[in-house]
Amino acid sequence: MNFWVSLDQWAFLVPLLPALAFVIIGALGERLSKLEHGGWLAVLFSAGSMVLGFLIAIGEMLGPGTYVDVRYTWFSIPPSSTGFRDGFSLVMGTLVDPISALMLIVVTLVGFVVMLYSIGYMHRDTGLPRYYAILSLFLTAMLGVVLADNLLMFFLFWELVGVCSYFLIGFYYAKPSAASAAKEAFIVTRVGDVLFLAGIFIYFAMYASADPSWAASGFLFTKGNAAFLPLGQGVNPTLLTIAGIFLLAGAAGKSAQFPLDAWLPDAMEGPTTVSALIHAATMVAAGVYLLVIGSLFLGFTSTDQLAIVAVGGFTTIWAASMACVHTDIKRVIAYSTVSQLGYMVLAVGAGFAMVGLFHLYTHAMFKALLFLAAGSVIHAVTTQDLFKMGGLRKKMRYTAFAFLAGAFALSGIPPFGGFWSKDDILSSVYSQLGTHPEYWPFYLMALATVFLTAYYIFRVYFLAFEGPSSREPGLSEHAHESPWVMRVPMLVLAGMAIVAGLLVFIPPFATLFNPTLTSPAFPVALPLNVPPSYPLVDIELSALSVALAVGGILVAWWLWGNGRLASMPRSAPARWMRETLLQRYYVKAAYDWIGGVGVYSIARASDFVDRFVIDGTVRGFERSFAGISQRMRKIQTGVVSDYAAYVITGLIAVFVIVLFVAPWLVSRLGGG
Amino acid sequence: MSLVTTLLDFLPEILLLAGALLVFLVDALGLRRIEVVGSIAVVTILLALLFVFADLGFAPVAFLAAIPPGQIDVFPPAGSTPLYWFTSLGLFFQTFFLLAAFLVALASMSRPSRERGAAVFYGLILLATLGMMLVAVASDLIFLLIAIEVVSIPSYLLVAYTRRDTRSMEAAMKFFIVGALSTVLSFFGASFLYGAYGTTNLFVLASGSAIANGAAGGGGFPLLVVIGYSLLIAGLAFKITLVPFHAWAVDVYDGAPDDVSAFLAGGTKKIGLFAFFLVFLGPVLFAKVAFQWFGGIGPVSFGPVLQVLLSILAVVTMSVGNVLALMQKSMKRMLAYSSISQAGYMLIGVAIGTAPALTGASLQVFAHVFMKSGAFLVVAAAAGLGVGPLIADWRGLGQKRPWLSAAFALMLLSLAGMPLTVGFVSKFVLFSAAIEAQGYFVWLAVAGLLNSALSVFYYGRVLKVIYFDSPAAAPAVPAPEGASPAASGAAAGPDHTPTAPLALGGLGYARAATIAIVAIVIVVLGIYPGPLLQPLAAAAQHFIRLGL
Repeated sequence: MNFWVSLDQWAFLVPLLPALAFVIIGALGERLSKLEHGGWLAVLFSAGSMVLGFLIAIGEMLGPGTYVDVRYTWFSIPPSSTGFRDGFSLVMGTLVDPISALMLIVVTLVGFVVMLYSIGYMHRDTGLPRYYAILSLFLTAMLGVVLADNLLMFFLFWELVGVCSYFLIGFYYAKPSAASAAKEAFIVTRVGDVLFLAGIFIYFAMYASADPSWAASGFLFTKGNAAFLPLGQGVNPTLLTIAGIFLLAGAAGKSAQFPLDAWLPDAMEGPTTVSALIHAATMVAAGVYLLVIGSLFLGFTSTDQLAIVAVGGFTTIWAASMACVHTDIKRVIAYSTVSQLGYMVLAVGAGFAMVGLFHLYTHAMFKALLFLAAGSVIHAVTTQDLFKMGGLRKKMRYTAFAFLAGAFALSGIPPFGGFWSKDDILSSVYSQLGTHPEYWPFYLMALATVFLTAYYIFRVYFLAFEGPSSREPGLSEHAHESPWVMRVPMLVLAGMAIVAGLLVFIPPFATLFNPTLTSPAFPVALPLNVPPSYPLVDIELSALSVALAVGGILVAWWLWGNGRLASMPRSAPARWMRETLLQRYYVKAAYDWIGGVGVYSIARASDFVDRFVIDGTVRGFERSFAGISQRMRKIQTGVVSDYAAYVITGLIAVFVIVLFVAPWLVSRLGGG
Repeated sequence: MSLVTTLLDFLPEILLLAGALLVFLVDALGLRRIEVVGSIAVVTILLALLFVFADLGFAPVAFLAAIPPGQIDVFPPAGSTPLYWFTSLGLFFQTFFLLAAFLVALASMSRPSRERGAAVFYGLILLATLGMMLVAVASDLIFLLIAIEVVSIPSYLLVAYTRRDTRSMEAAMKFFIVGALSTVLSFFGASFLYGAYGTTNLFVLASGSAIANGAAGGGGFPLLVVIGYSLLIAGLAFKITLVPFHAWAVDVYDGAPDDVSAFLAGGTKKIGLFAFFLVFLGPVLFAKVAFQWFGGIGPVSFGPVLQVLLSILAVVTMSVGNVLALMQKSMKRMLAYSSISQAGYMLIGVAIGTAPALTGASLQVFAHVFMKSGAFLVVAAAAGLGVGPLIADWRGLGQKRPWLSAAFALMLLSLAGMPLTVGFVSKFVLFSAAIEAQGYFVWLAVAGLLNSALSVFYYGRVLKVIYFDSPAAAPAVPAPEGASPAASGAAAGPDHTPTAPLALGGLGYARAATIAIVAIVIVVLGIYPGPLLQPLAAAAQHFIRLGL
């Protein structure tokens, strides 16, 4: 057993290997053209990272459930009498525990298969060194988020993840829509990140005042240290609630939860591989991971929990409804991702962090699979419009099989992966309805979404793969199956989509989902609720959700199956509804308006104030006092006297502040 | 104190003076090649740096120390009112100033060998550096203000030394007029304080008893003191470009020759911050006697009032600087506004007045010396390569000059406070100190972070232009003479002394080396800041203890 524990000391290598790939590919660039422009290097290093990640995860299963925290002090401020009485350190560390082990499996596996798939998929593109370098850097950042043992390090890598996502969405930067989507994603997630940081501040300020020695030992929380769990420590509950809401905002930005959801469908402007890895399996799940950590190690108040449940529950149906009408194959899957992330957030909010994590894990497999299969289709027919496709099953058997496996998993048909985790979420939330009747509406939304989910994904399947031939003539005739570098990743993920849920019934694997309650990390009893400890008592509930899913599939078949193209209902309300959904409930238009009119006009106004009001006032004074003619103004350099006027204005302002404003403020603030 | 010990105390300053005189002498003798005067300046600065290091107790050169270690960071004898006093924080600032001068002096050696005014340039740099060194050891208000003048007068001249460009002449004129106004305000403020206390010694001014007894004369409102400090704030704010005393800086940094801008933004500006430390940290820490203010407000003591004022100035400065930087199309004006906003971050340290905050501000000064001088030096290098003044002119430089672009990107990332750069460390220390100080100071950190987030946009825009925009669209700007090997070869007519083509594709060894040094420092201290952070934090603690 010692071998496995000693392995945890080397956990830092897991993110470091892709970082090396980033440095090498970045430095050598086009000189690597023989190695698929660095692609094979990226595959190699991500494979190394995956092997080590899996070994660490196996060690964690056999451990079982050890907590190994390896810390390095980056820099520290020495103690002083005026501030930081006990000093202050910025610590970088890796923590291997059941949760991070599970995430290691997800991130390294999906990372590796997507890298491999990219070799075939991206082959025809230019700028590949940039692609592989940034994708490798993304893996580093994501693994850094997974392994971080404190919130500050978590935040730094979290930001790096966002930067990589920005560059990859805008990979086809010459395309205006891609560039604007990248910018949109960056700005929207930044809104969440700023709030997240504010939340970190509040935790920091709360703890620093409660225990000064705390700052000395590291920054913020250490996962696995019970002393930092604030519940029952007499921390101000209002502050705790606000901090929790801020954390939720950060998670909502990253995980595209309502109302910060608009960026994710637009992020599909990036290559499909990027959508699979970043915008389905890993980065967008980081928000859920943050909430899991928050609920396990920082603690949420019941108000926070309700907010999280509301955001998650509403997002499921909000995004799923939009997925039902879109005709771009990638956008439908993107809306589906938003909706599924809503399920995870819902579970975490209801107090079932591990259940949310369970769905994160199965979802990562089948959603990455769906994207890779969609990519394979796009690769073959060079269009993303579902209404042009059709009949592709005969030409692309592997792809059709892979997509079907993913679709069943997403719909929640037993025994596919998605069934276990989604059903687990629904029954777990259901079990809370007695004590929390306010969860009812959100539970019902999540339940209804099961039907919608099955409908929209099988709509995609029938439109793309079934029917005699493509609707646009010639499309399916020229289609061909993808090369093996793309088929193998799809088959691996298809296998996972089928068995991911069943794996949990293998006892060692199950330890990842059922951390030991006696460990110092979990001083409070956790409702785990993940198989095998989740006992499948609610057989009626499971039957209901499966029935809903089957119903969705049948409706999809009825409308779109066998090459049918459902004619649009002509009635005005139906058309209006369809248009509303296509326009995403007009939320994006509202954001654009706010962004365009609001922010831009602030910038314009400050420019105006600077140029005309201040300058103008100063010049106005000049004119009215001296009555200087235009000629005189030319002789005087004019501008200098403006600057001198600024100085005098500033001096007057200083006097006013010192003599009146500041004393008043101090007397109000009570610092005098 | 005998004359000898006094002279020994000022060994680095005397060296700088001697170097400046030597430069002018060599110029008079006709040896005005830039290699000669530049070498003299660089060697002088390095020697001075060596002595300052020795005084700081840096082990390998400790035997050179001219100041006995026992005379640093101690209180002056009771009853004495020294004009100058040695603190380790002051010595650290001396090294920062010397480093700024060193970077500019070294890089400028790559300018055309026979350029007019090279000796003037180097002589003035050395004289201004001498003044900066004096600022860092001042312990008397009048000594401090005169030292600032010793910096200011060469600075005015430096802006206009080329005497070619009407824009730089105009900038120098503005700089001089507004600077003179600020000087007047500062001395006027000092006279009020003298009227209140009967002394201008900073130790006396700083101590709380003086504010209570000397000024109030029995508990009344210390109007003289408050007016005096307000005038001083207005006067010194000019130096560190606090809004609204900033307007000159943009024109001057924009109009001055690029290397001079590097020196002004990276070097001389920082004396203002140390002057703020010297003058305002005392009242912030010790002015705790409460008075009844006008309008029946109070009783409130002067220290917290000053903290509020400095906080407001800090937030206004960083925000206005950043917002205006967002809208600039010219690279140098963008850097100038970014420099203004950085002054706002630094001021946070004075406003809070704890040792960690002071450490953060000092670290920010150090980082800024490298980031901002480096950035302006790269701008100078790019101008030499035929890149125009607008940000848009930098299109596609990433492909044409990968190393230069990478170094510049590093400097911009450091200015934005990205991790693994020294700019991150300094902002981290500064903002965490603000959060730790609690109260409304937390909002200073919040404002600082929001501003940092905002600044990412304009730095990022430059990076996008450099790396992602295609170079084809950039208009071909004819390279100035001697800028690139091809251009200088073609331009060399029969009666034109052929200029030696510059090494490293037009950059020149000296400038390339300087930029490399800056990049290495930014990364190395970004990854491993301990060796600088630890002693600097200790120095800041001593400084606070002295209450200067």
